[in-house]
Parts: sequence; C-alpha cells; structure tokens
Amino acid sequence: MSDTSSLTRPSRLPTAIPQAAKERRRRRWLRQLKRFFQRKPLGATGGLIVLLLVLTAIGAEWLATHDPTRTHATQTLRPPGAAFWLGTDHLGRDIYSRIVYGARVSLAVGLGSTLLGAIVGGMVGLWSGYLGGRTDLITQRFLDMMQALPLLVLALVMSAALGPAIHNAILAISIPLIPRAARVIRSSTLSIREMAYIEAARAIGVPQLRIVFRHVLPNTLGPFIVLATAQLGSAILVEASLSFLGLGIPEPYPSWGRMLSVSAAEYAQKAPWLVIFPGVAISLSVFGFNLLGDALRDVLDPKLRLQ
Amino acid sequence: MNTAEIRTQTPLWTRRQLLQTAVGGSVAVATLYPVLASTQESPKYGGILNATHRGDPPSLSIHEEATISTVWPAMPCYNNLVLFDPLKPQESADTIIGELAESWEWQDEGRSLVFHLRRGVKWHDGKPFTSRDVQYTFDLVREAPGMTARLRVNPRKLWYENVERIDTPDAWTAIFRLQRPQPSLLVLLASGYSPIYPAHVPPSVLRTRCVGTGPFRFKEYRRGEVLELERNPDYFIEGRPYLDGIRYLMIKDRATRTAALQARQVDIAFPGETTKTIAETLRRSNPELVIIETSQNVNDNILINFTRSPFDNPELRLAINLAIDRKAYVQAVHQGGALPGAAMLPRPYGVWGLPEEEVAKLPGYGDPRAQKEEARQILGKLGYGPRNPLRVTMSTRAIAIYVDFASFVIDQLKQVGIEATLEQVETGVWHPKVTRKEYELAANLTGIGPDDPDANFFENYKCGSPRNYPGYCNPEVDAFILEQSQLSDVSKRRQLVHAIDKRLQEESARPIMGWRIDYFTMWPQVKNLVPHQSIYNYGRMQEVWLAT
Repeated sequence: MSDTSSLTRPSRLPTAIPQAAKERRRRRWLRQLKRFFQRKPLGATGGLIVLLLVLTAIGAEWLATHDPTRTHATQTLRPPGAAFWLGTDHLGRDIYSRIVYGARVSLAVGLGSTLLGAIVGGMVGLWSGYLGGRTDLITQRFLDMMQALPLLVLALVMSAALGPAIHNAILAISIPLIPRAARVIRSSTLSIREMAYIEAARAIGVPQLRIVFRHVLPNTLGPFIVLATAQLGSAILVEASLSFLGLGIPEPYPSWGRMLSVSAAEYAQKAPWLVIFPGVAISLSVFGFNLLGDALRDVLDPKLRLQ
Repeated sequence: MNTAEIRTQTPLWTRRQLLQTAVGGSVAVATLYPVLASTQESPKYGGILNATHRGDPPSLSIHEEATISTVWPAMPCYNNLVLFDPLKPQESADTIIGELAESWEWQDEGRSLVFHLRRGVKWHDGKPFTSRDVQYTFDLVREAPGMTARLRVNPRKLWYENVERIDTPDAWTAIFRLQRPQPSLLVLLASGYSPIYPAHVPPSVLRTRCVGTGPFRFKEYRRGEVLELERNPDYFIEGRPYLDGIRYLMIKDRATRTAALQARQVDIAFPGETTKTIAETLRRSNPELVIIETSQNVNDNILINFTRSPFDNPELRLAINLAIDRKAYVQAVHQGGALPGAAMLPRPYGVWGLPEEEVAKLPGYGDPRAQKEEARQILGKLGYGPRNPLRVTMSTRAIAIYVDFASFVIDQLKQVGIEATLEQVETGVWHPKVTRKEYELAANLTGIGPDDPDANFFENYKCGSPRNYPGYCNPEVDAFILEQSQLSDVSKRRQLVHAIDKRLQEESARPIMGWRIDYFTMWPQVKNLVPHQSIYNYGRMQEVWLAT
C-alpha cells in the first residue's frame, strides 16, 4: 500500500501544480477582463461587436437561413418577415443570409489587408528606423509619396488596375496601409534603438538581425496591435466603398458594399431595407473596431496607463 | 429541314394572335394617348430641350457605333434617305416617309431601288447635298472596292452586302443596284443607324462632331458634361425644327439621372433606361409625368462560345439553354418589365416575333423543374456531376443591368451543377473581347435597329458576321436567311422567319432571356416626342416642341 501511495504521490504533484497555475491564470484573466469592462465599457462593447462579427463569419453556414446567391423570382423586394427576416433584394435573394455571408467577406478582406499591410509596413518601418541614415531618408521619402494619396484613392487606383476579385481587394487595400504601419513602427524603433540594452547587445557583438527581431520587434508590438485594430475598421470601410463602386468583391459573392451599390440605390425608395441593413452592418463593424482600437491604445500605451 | 417543311410549321395568324394584337394595339393607343393628343395642339417655336444622357458616347459617328449612346444625341444632326414616321409609334414598311429622298420606286423586279432626292439641301458647313453623298455613304459602309475612306469599326456592313453598286446618273438620283431582290432594304435605310454622311468630310472628323443636313447642328461638346445642338436655320423643311436647341446632359449614374428628371432639371429620360420599378416610383412621386410603356427592340441574351471546347458540343449548349428559367428571369431581373421571346421582337410590339404558344415550347420556357432535371441528365451523360461540376467563366460588362442579369444566370446554372464565376469587363474592352471570342459564356444585350429580320439575322446569326459573337454557323440557316430576305409576300416571309427563329433557339445560337420594355418618361410640356418600338429610330427631334 505504502509503496503504491509513494508511487502515486509524485505522479500527482506535477499535474496538480499546472492545474493550480491554470486556475490562477484563468482567474487573473477574468479579473483583467472584468477590469477592462469596468474601466473601458465602450471598448468592451466594441470587443463584443467584433466577437459577434467573428462568430457570424465563422458560423455563416449555420446562421444563414438561405443560400445567399439563390434568386427567388416570385419573392423579389419582399419586406422583412418570417420567411425572409430582413427581406429580399431585387433578385429575390435573402438579405439576412447575404449579410451573414458578407461578414465573412468583410472580415477576410479587413483582416487580410490589415495584416498584410501592417506586416509589410512594420518590416519596412523596423528596418528603416533601426538602420537610419540614408536608408531611412530614402525609405521615408518614398513613404511620403505613398501617403500623399488618401487611403481610398490609392486603393481605388490599385483595384482598378488589378480588377475586381477578393485577393485583389486585399492587395489593393493593404498597399495604402503600408506607409501608415511603417511610420508607427519606425517611430517606436527610433526610441528603442537608443536604449541602453540595445547598446549593450551591440557592444557584446549580437548580430543585427538578432537585435532587430529579438530585442526591438517585441517592444513595438503594442503600437502594432493598436494600429492593426484601428486600421481594420478603415479596411472594412474601404472594401465596402470599393465594392460600392464595382471594384471590390465581384457578384454574386455577397459583400456589404456591393449590397449598397447601384441597383440597391435604384430600389431604395421602394424597398428601403435593401440599403438599411447592409448600411447598419457596415456602421456597426467599423464602430466596433474603432471602439476596440481606442480602448486597446489606452490599455497598451504606457503613458496613458500611468495616467 | 427543307423550305416546304418550314412553311407548313407555323400558321399565319391564329385567333389568339389576332386577339393579342388587338389588345396590344389598344394598350398602345391608350398609353400613347397623351402623346398623340399633343399632335392636335398648335406647335410653338423656341426653347431648349434638356435631355439626359447615360454618359459620354464612344463617338458621334453613327455608322461606326452600335449603341443608343451615339444614335440618340447624333441623330438630330443627320438625315436619312427615308425614315420611320416620327409621329407613328409602330414602325413598319408602311410608316416610312421620305427625308432626303422625295420619292422612291422599285425597278427591275425588285433588283433596283431608285431614290429621287430633294434639291437645295445644304450640309451644315454650307456645301450642297447631292447623290454623290448617298453613293459615298453606302460605299463606305459596304466597303465597296476602290473606296479609300474607311470606317474604324463597321458593325452594319452586312446590312448592305446585297448592294452590288450605287449609280448616280445625276446629282438628284441615286440607284441601289441589288444582287437579288430585298424588299427590306428600305426598312434598313429608314433606321436611325442609316444617316447620310457628307462625302467631303473624312469619317474621323465625324467622331468628335457631326456635320449633317439634319434639323440641328453641332454647337458644343464638353466630355462628361454636356453635348449641345442648335437649330439649323437652313433646314430644308420650312418651319422645322421647332426647338432652338437640345442639351444632352451627361449623367452616368441612373439614380442621379432619375433624380434630375424628378427635379425638372431635364425634360426627358434616356431611351431604354427607365425600368418598371423606376417608373412605379416616378408615378408615385410625380404623377403628372408622362410615362409611355413600349419596347426597346433590345434583348438580353447569353453568348455561348461555339469555338471553344466544351461549348462546341450541342448537347452542352442545350443543357445551358434548358437550365435558365426565362419566366423567372423576366420576373426577377426586370420585375416583370420585359417580355419572353425568341430572336425577333415579340408581340404586341414586334411584327415578326414567334407566337406565344411557340415560344412556350422552346428550351428554357417550359416547366423549370423538368427542364432543369433534363439539363442535369445531359450534363451527367457528358460526365459532369456534383463531384465533377463544369466550371466556367461568365463574362459581362461592369454595368449594374448586366451584372444583375449575369448574377441571375450564374444562380440558375448552379442549380444544374454548372459553377460559373463572374468576370466583369469594362465597357471599352467589352466589344473587342466578344468580337475576338475571348470568353466562355457571356451575358450580353443586343439592340436591333429596325424591327426587321434582315437587320437581325444578317448581323447576329449569319456565318462570319463580326457581330455573330458566339460564332454560330449553319449554312442551311444562312440559306433560309437569304430566302426570307427576298420574299415580298409578308405572310410567307413571316412563316419562314418563325421557322428560322425556332431553329436558332433550338440550336442555342444565342439563347434569348427576354426583351426589355422601356418606360420612356418625359414632362408633359414636351410635345410630339413619340417613342417607337425600337429606341434607335425616333431621335430626330424635328417635330418636337415645348409647350411652356
């Protein structure tokens, strides 16, 4: 017996410790979440909206009541009701299902373009800020030129050149985001590279690549997350604008912007639900991402955190 | 199928057709009453007619274009030899009146058409009009041997392929010598697509301005803004035109154009642009607006590329044809504002269209479930199924009306297991692309100048025609097309035309989805503007006046 107990005891200990640690981590995380809700109720609302958007995009197949591309000749321009919760469009397609699937398109384009723009821009800003000198000067002037054009205008030019397709929309929106991301990361890098620990790393002969990725990059992640969250809303809005202008996601894939496009504008007087619901969906998501971005900025910014 | 078979297939006029025509005629008279009544009032001179335009025309050279965007604003500049009476809504050979031709006659058993021209007519630049201009125009269009001038694009060359030569024995006589009799030649010449060009002005000049003999002359064109025409003081018809000028305001967005009309910024809509839904909205918001329901002579059709595998397989083309429910199409895409039909404009607007009961037997018009099942079976036989769907690209113009049409068709094809992805093409690229047959499936609109089989069949279905975009070619059908063109007996010709039309639909030459209805809208002060069954033939504006 004793042998058995002595054998089981040590095996229990290693599992008991991580479980306790897990529990502590969970409680701490819940406390932090509770604090975030208390201190940043608007940010928390934004987070919930974003969560809803993500869940809608993931579970579109289960949430949609109809095939979003299926036309119903006898059900065109039906007002919201039991069969079609948010009504139908001029081709008899279910607006609710199109909005649900449209969330997937909006999120894919928003996330894809923001990540692509932020990563490429981040890398450019990181190297430009760390290397400094002539490299920084030339890179910054080039970014100045890119930034001289507003986000939508540059995305329009890119999209018109590449043609309407989901990957082209992601690319077209990500390119104007590059200079914005580069600027933010560069400014962080400029202050970090002057820190004593970076100087010490250089002094002991740590390779530059290692310094940049091991010591500089992790310290720029705070502004990077804030930037990405803030740009997500803009990216969704630009995608909607491109699709509205016929340069974004091609039919018949449902896109919120395209749902507001030419035909909807024509039928808006007769069937206002054609423009109201996609409009609300776009506004809510942009609102949600902006609220969350603002709150994250406050939480992650050390100066604001001290205040 | 031989000619004898063709001729016995379709009765001339059934009781139902007569009833349909009578009802259609009554509807036309009732809807056109406000316009026809205006002809009773005494016309007034002066005023500028403000018209909308859906965007800059590709050029102002009517002979080089195949779009209402050019014909509508350029037509007031020119004259034809003959024209469909602008005040009669139903066009036919009987409503043709003289313009530059004072009179005409057939000679040599229908092989010569002699025009006696008006004297004293001047071009807008002051030069005299003569038979030389007539000869030049049609030698230019038919690309006669020895012609040095060339049109950049020549969409209607085949209209005049039967013309052997044009003789001008004197300055006021032009004789069209034909290889074979063609009674419809006069109808083709009466279309808005057949203006007389000045022989002394190169075609390239006419792309950016117009020099004609017409009731209005070119004043100014600011791209993206306005095209202005002014009254021609030397017009050969005394007392015409009534208007001082016409302004075509370029407004690209249809909703904005409608808003401009509602706000009285413009007097008339653009032909073919007022849908049933817009008309219903306008009726509610501005009940005093005059809205005339008529056809456009424009059909929505699917182009299947015959020259590309696997679409060279007639069974596959039939499956595509069967898959698309035409009645649902008319209801969903046009909210009922279109007519189902075959290659020729259907009744009550058209003269040559297949009777309703014949249309009902065509692929795509029957029971949608049964036809879709038949399409699935054909596809299954060809090796396509849920695990191996046929993947195709559906091309269309990047314009809302085209995209809606294509979206509907993509959904219909999806239901039988054909997965189509949409490719949107810019307007400037569209016609070269389909002419070069760089597509698989395409959602297309085809406008036909006059409602006549010669205008339609030669241009869109004859082997080798540049506008025969799918590349359909059947020598037997070509022979029938030539045969119907020579028939002067209207009833015999109609029978043959119906047989050809059925054959074209059964062979999926260019599956027709429906014929668009226009709800042409104008304010009541606009008088004597009478929409016809074809939007391409009533833009002269010579008789139009403003009551304010």
